[in-house]
Amino acid sequence: MVLFWIFGAMTLWGLVIYILQIVAVRSALSPTRNREAHMILSQSYPPISVIKPLKGLEDNLFGNLESFCVQDYPEYEVIFSLQDENDPAYKVARKVKEKFPDKPISIVVERCHHGFNPKVNNLFLAYRHSKYPTILISDSNVMVDPYYLRTIVKPMDNPEVGLVCNLIKGIGGKTIGSIFENLHLNSFILGNICFLDKYLRIPCVVGKSMLMRKSDLEAIGGLGSVKDILAEDHFIGEKIRGQKQRVVISNYLINNVNEYWNLKKFINRHVRWGKMRWKIGGMKYFLELTINPVFTAFLFLLLFGPTEKSLSFLALVSMIKITGDFYLGRNLSTPMHPLLYLLSPIKDLLIGLLWFAPLADDTVIWRGNRYRMGKDTRLSLCPERGREWKYRIVEGIKAKLAW
Amino acid sequence: MLLCDLHIHTTYSDGSVKLRRTVDIFGQAGFDVIAITDHVVNGDNPFGKLANRFKFSVTEASFEAYMSHIKEEAERAWDRYGLLVIPGVEITKNSFSSDKSAHFLLIDIKEFIPASWGYEKIFLEAKKQDALIVACHPHRTSDKSFIDTLFLWNNRDKYARYIDAWEIANRDDVFNVISLKKYPYIAGSDFHRVRHLYSWKSLLNCKKDAESIKQCIRSNWGVAITLFRN
Repeated sequence: MVLFWIFGAMTLWGLVIYILQIVAVRSALSPTRNREAHMILSQSYPPISVIKPLKGLEDNLFGNLESFCVQDYPEYEVIFSLQDENDPAYKVARKVKEKFPDKPISIVVERCHHGFNPKVNNLFLAYRHSKYPTILISDSNVMVDPYYLRTIVKPMDNPEVGLVCNLIKGIGGKTIGSIFENLHLNSFILGNICFLDKYLRIPCVVGKSMLMRKSDLEAIGGLGSVKDILAEDHFIGEKIRGQKQRVVISNYLINNVNEYWNLKKFINRHVRWGKMRWKIGGMKYFLELTINPVFTAFLFLLLFGPTEKSLSFLALVSMIKITGDFYLGRNLSTPMHPLLYLLSPIKDLLIGLLWFAPLADDTVIWRGNRYRMGKDTRLSLCPERGREWKYRIVEGIKAKLAW
Repeated sequence: MLLCDLHIHTTYSDGSVKLRRTVDIFGQAGFDVIAITDHVVNGDNPFGKLANRFKFSVTEASFEAYMSHIKEEAERAWDRYGLLVIPGVEITKNSFSSDKSAHFLLIDIKEFIPASWGYEKIFLEAKKQDALIVACHPHRTSDKSFIDTLFLWNNRDKYARYIDAWEIANRDDVFNVISLKKYPYIAGSDFHRVRHLYSWKSLLNCKKDAESIKQCIRSNWGVAITLFRN
């Protein structure tokens, strides 16, 4: 009976938090706030160096890169940065550059092994190459509108602001992995970012878009200070806040295009992100389980068996979650078919199961490399000795299942 | 070098991706040249009848709409991605026996050619239209669900003179017999699903226009193949 009330209360708690998340998202995207934001014209438009680290073909890569070359902004440069000319993204970057011969677009290629974080390694050369005092680090899988730079630069008028990052929404899902990814980005990730920002005043930095001054980045030790950190975006934000500067989340929604992910890619990403949150948050990570009401309702079902009560409870919670996710999707103007929101509870169940993975294993595979993740997501080379039997079994299974 | 995939199917036959989306997939991935080569299936046996019945084939009736849609997409692809899209078909002569089955591409085709015609008649008509003739997956493939198409290879003495190039690699398979015979070669994905983007491709060292590409393949000078991976 005690367990009944514990799980019942956990699920209700999860639903309350979820509703608060929806309110927070609604508030962040409210037309009044947006209108006000657009009406405030920036006093100055500092020249910006947009740095795009590239590795491999992301979905919609050409369109993503192209969207940064057609910005309605007085003075900016775009730098595509790669480690290897044989990278398929290099050809796409070249085609984008050829399409806009009049735009200040550069492609820099250099193998760089300063640290273990491949994205930061990719940034070093572009950073050296950049000529303006304000930089925007932007991932290759995001697509923006022409007024993006004009919008996100506004908070930088205030010298107390050290970093501007953005809210993200997932678009373009055409396969099960990408549909799950977009549902998760548009509910759990966006909801939590807005919740933390609105109620707890904790700005959560997502590295898909980070606008900052070089002087501020240098003051916290430059890129070198995060070269071995997997969650480099989070720590750049933390260090900037440590310098008594503000981190602002712009309400400009950037599009994260995820079209053809398979389920494996979705699982890999969220196991990796879960491990990062576990290493950063410590015991707070356990709270995450309680804010997944579908999963806690499912645990309730597992504990008490498929009774009428437990099944109805899971169905009710799932319906609330589907309706909430649908409502969020409409608010975000996400072009997703309404029936696909029925997959939301299945995605939540999967995410609930993935929640346990970080507790069992501290290694990550990112961009083809395997690392061990220590405190604060500090990366080190993964010791193979003593673990090779494990990898051999995993690789053997993978080889058998390969199509 | 131009990154090319000259063997692509769409929902006009048995592909799972619509033409517009197919063009976007290759454009977004930085390709220079693609050929849309949907099946034209012979209707003189049960295979062909089924294919025609379930619209897994371009037919004489649908050919005009097919070509005009490709033309429209080709203009969009050129403007948006600098991607050259060439119209084509894959003549599909299926039989219950591998030895009697043959598939070949007619790239840069202008008029409809039925697959039920005899081989020589088709080849001559294709030559008349100045289409490039490429023998597809001409040897044993690794795909167990697929009936191999060995007719052209088994009858190469008779038909090789008509064929401009042979697929030396198709999706994940490589046919070393083509190099042993020193035949002109290209590679293609036989794209039916999005995942087939990552497969064997051709690299051509020539200008980005249909005539130069056909010339490059026919002379087989400046042709290379690459296994396109992400």
